[in-house]
Amino acid sequence: MNKSALVRSSVACVGCSLLFLQLNLSAQIEEFTDIGDSELQNPAQGEWLHWRGGQNAWGYSELEQINTSNVGQLQLVWSWAMDDSGAGEAAPLVHAGMMFLPGPRGVIQALNAANGDLLWEYRPGITPAMEGSNAVALGAEQLGDALMPATAFAGVGRGVQKNIAIYGDRIFAATENASIVAIDARSGLLAWETPVADPALGYYYVAGPIVANGVLVTGINGCERYKEDVCFITGHDPASGEELWRTSTVARPDDPGGDSWGDLPLHLRAGGDAWVAGSYDPVTNLVYWGTAQAKPWARVVRGTDGEALYTNSTLALNPNTGVMEWYYQHLPGETHDMDEVFESVLIDVDGRPSLFKMGKLGILWQLDRVSGEYIKATDIGYQNLVNLNPVTGKVVYKDGMLPRIGKQLDFCPSTSGLKSWRAMAYSPQTSAMYIPIALNCELATFGPVEQVLGGGGTGPVRRVNYPHPDAGDNLGELLVLDIPSGEVKWRYRSRAPLNTAALTTAGSLVFIGDWNRYMYAFDADTGEKLWQTRVSTSAQGFPVSYMIDGVQYVALPAGNGGASWAALLPRELAPELTRPRSGNSMHVFALPTQARQD
Amino acid sequence: MRKLAAILIITLWHAGISGSSAQQPASIWDGIYSDAQAERGAAAYSARCASCHAVDLRGNSNAPGLLGVGFMFLWEGRSVGELFTKLRTEMPSDQPGSLPAQTYMDILSFILRSNQFPSSEKELTAGADWLNSVLITPK
Repeated sequence: MNKSALVRSSVACVGCSLLFLQLNLSAQIEEFTDIGDSELQNPAQGEWLHWRGGQNAWGYSELEQINTSNVGQLQLVWSWAMDDSGAGEAAPLVHAGMMFLPGPRGVIQALNAANGDLLWEYRPGITPAMEGSNAVALGAEQLGDALMPATAFAGVGRGVQKNIAIYGDRIFAATENASIVAIDARSGLLAWETPVADPALGYYYVAGPIVANGVLVTGINGCERYKEDVCFITGHDPASGEELWRTSTVARPDDPGGDSWGDLPLHLRAGGDAWVAGSYDPVTNLVYWGTAQAKPWARVVRGTDGEALYTNSTLALNPNTGVMEWYYQHLPGETHDMDEVFESVLIDVDGRPSLFKMGKLGILWQLDRVSGEYIKATDIGYQNLVNLNPVTGKVVYKDGMLPRIGKQLDFCPSTSGLKSWRAMAYSPQTSAMYIPIALNCELATFGPVEQVLGGGGTGPVRRVNYPHPDAGDNLGELLVLDIPSGEVKWRYRSRAPLNTAALTTAGSLVFIGDWNRYMYAFDADTGEKLWQTRVSTSAQGFPVSYMIDGVQYVALPAGNGGASWAALLPRELAPELTRPRSGNSMHVFALPTQARQD
Repeated sequence: MRKLAAILIITLWHAGISGSSAQQPASIWDGIYSDAQAERGAAAYSARCASCHAVDLRGNSNAPGLLGVGFMFLWEGRSVGELFTKLRTEMPSDQPGSLPAQTYMDILSFILRSNQFPSSEKELTAGADWLNSVLITPK
C-alpha cells in the first residue's frame, strides 16, 4: 500500500467511526421538531422551553411522577462536567429529548437529556459557521471567543452565560462579547452572529434572549462606566439576526423623563443594566423586563437626587416595536445598590393579570400587567433602609439612611441583597411563591468617582459584612409566601446561602440547592425536607424538570464563581464551610423503575 | 510601654538589626518596587486580573476599581502589606491564592505604579514583613 492509499484508508476509517457516531446520535436529533410561538405558549408536558419553564416565569413543572411520597428514592441518572472557565449559572432548556446546556464563556452543549450523551457542542470561535452564515464575514475581533475577548473592558471576567432561548430550529444566546448568536439546534453550527454593542466600551451580556411573538428580545449589561451611550434592550429577527428596535433603559436628556437625572449630560447617566431575562404575556403582547439601579450607586456620588428613570424599574415593552407601554419604578432615586432587575413572575390573581417581582430589599411587588398600576407590596421585614406605604407603594428613605461620601452607614441587607438572580418559583397548587433569600447586613462607606468619560462605575465602597440580627448564624433562607396575601407560609433557614433558583413541581415539591453543595426537595405545602444529596461544588444555577419516555427527570446545576452571595459572603461569614475551586456541572435525577410504577 | 516597645522595634529595624539585609524604605514615596517588576506585574494583571478589574484598572460592578480616587478611597491609610495579603488570600476571586507569591508582589507593584507611586532599584520580594509598616498615603 503506498502512502496516499494509506492516508485514504485512514481517512475512510475515521469517516466510518464518525458515521457510526452520527447514526447513534442522529436518532435523537431526528426527533427534534421546530418550535413556534404556539409551542412556546403551550409547551408539551415534559418540555422546558423557557429559562423559567414557561413564558410566565413560574419556574414550575406540571410533572408529578416525582412527588412527596417517592422523592426520597431519587437516584442520580447522569451528571456532566461543564467548562470551569467562568462562573456556572446555567439555565438549561429541554426539547425533544435534548438538553441544551449553556456553559461559561458562550459554550453551549446539546446532550441526550435521558442519558447525558453529548450530541453536539458549540464553542465560540472554534465551532464552524453554517454555509451562508454572516459570521464568516465578521472579523475575529467581532466574533466571540472561547477565551476572554481582548477588546473587553471588564465584566466578562466571570464568563457567565445564564439563559438561552429556543425558536424554530435554532438556539439563541447572547455573548460576553456583546453579540447575539443563533446556533442550529440539530448540528450546533453557528447560523448567524450579530454584534450588538462595542465590548471595548464595557458592554457585555450575562442574560440571554427570550422569544416573544416571533422576536428575540435581549437586555444588555456593562453600563456602569461613563460613555457616550446608555444601556438598552433590543429586538432582533430570529431568522436573520437583523436588529428591529432598540429601547434605552435610561432616559436621555431630551426624552420624556429626561429631567429625572437633573442636568447630568448623557454620558454621566449610567446604570439601568438589563442583566436578567424577562417574561412575556401573549395576551397583552408585552414583554416584562427589569432594569438595574443607577450608577454610581449612591446619589451623592452620581451627582443627582432625581429618580433616574428608567433604572430599577419594570418595563413593559411591545416586542414587535420596542415601544415602552408602561414602566413602574420600584425605588426612585435608589442610592445603596439595591437592584430591582430580577425576574417578573406573571400570575393572574382573582382574574386580574398581575406581575410579581422582588428586588434586593425583599419587597414583593404586585403590579397590574396590563396597565402597570401598583396593586400591592409586601415587605418581608429584613430591610431597614426604607419605609413602604403599602397603600400607594411609595418608598421613602428612613432618616439618616442616605449615603454621604466618607460617612459609614449601617444597613440591612448588604449590597448582595436579600434577593438576587436566584429566581423565585410559583406553585399554583399551593398558591405560594418560593423565594431564595440571603440574610446579612453591611457597614458601608461610599466613596467618590471621577466624572469623566471612562470613569464612573459603581463607586468605591468600604464594606464590612455581618450576619443579619434576625437570623442567628444562618445566611440562607427559603421563604414561602402565600399569593396574593404575602403571608408567610413556611420558611427554611440554613447556615449556607441558598444558591440556586427554586423549582416547583406538581408533585407538590420544591427543589433548591445551597452553597454547601447540598440539593434538597421539600414538601411544598408543609416545608418538610424530604430528600437531599450532595454534589461536586456549590449548587448554583436554575433547576429544571422534564419527562422523556415516561420518566420524569430533575436536573440540578452546580457551579463556581457567582459574585457576592457565593464568593464573598460565605468566605467572610461562614469561614468553616469550604468548596472546591472547580466543579461547574449538571446533575440529573429520576426515580428507580419500581418507584415509578408504584 | 507598648508604644515604647514599638519605637524600639522600629528603631532596631531601621538599624538593620532585625535581620533584614538592607535598610528598608520607611515610606511608599521612597520607592518600594522596581520598574521591571511592575512590567512583569502588568503582564500577570492582564492575564489574571483584567477580566474583572478591567484593563485600565477601573473595575466593574463586581470588582472595585484599583486606580485613582477610587483606589485611594479604599486603601488610603492602610498598609501595603494589608493590600498584599488581600491579593494573596482572596484573588483571583475564582482561584484565590493560586498564583506564585512573587507574582502577587509583581501585580502589587503594577498597581502601585499605576497609581503613580515611585519605583526604585530594588524589587519587592515575597515575605517582606516590613510592608505592614508602609502605609498607602497621598504625597
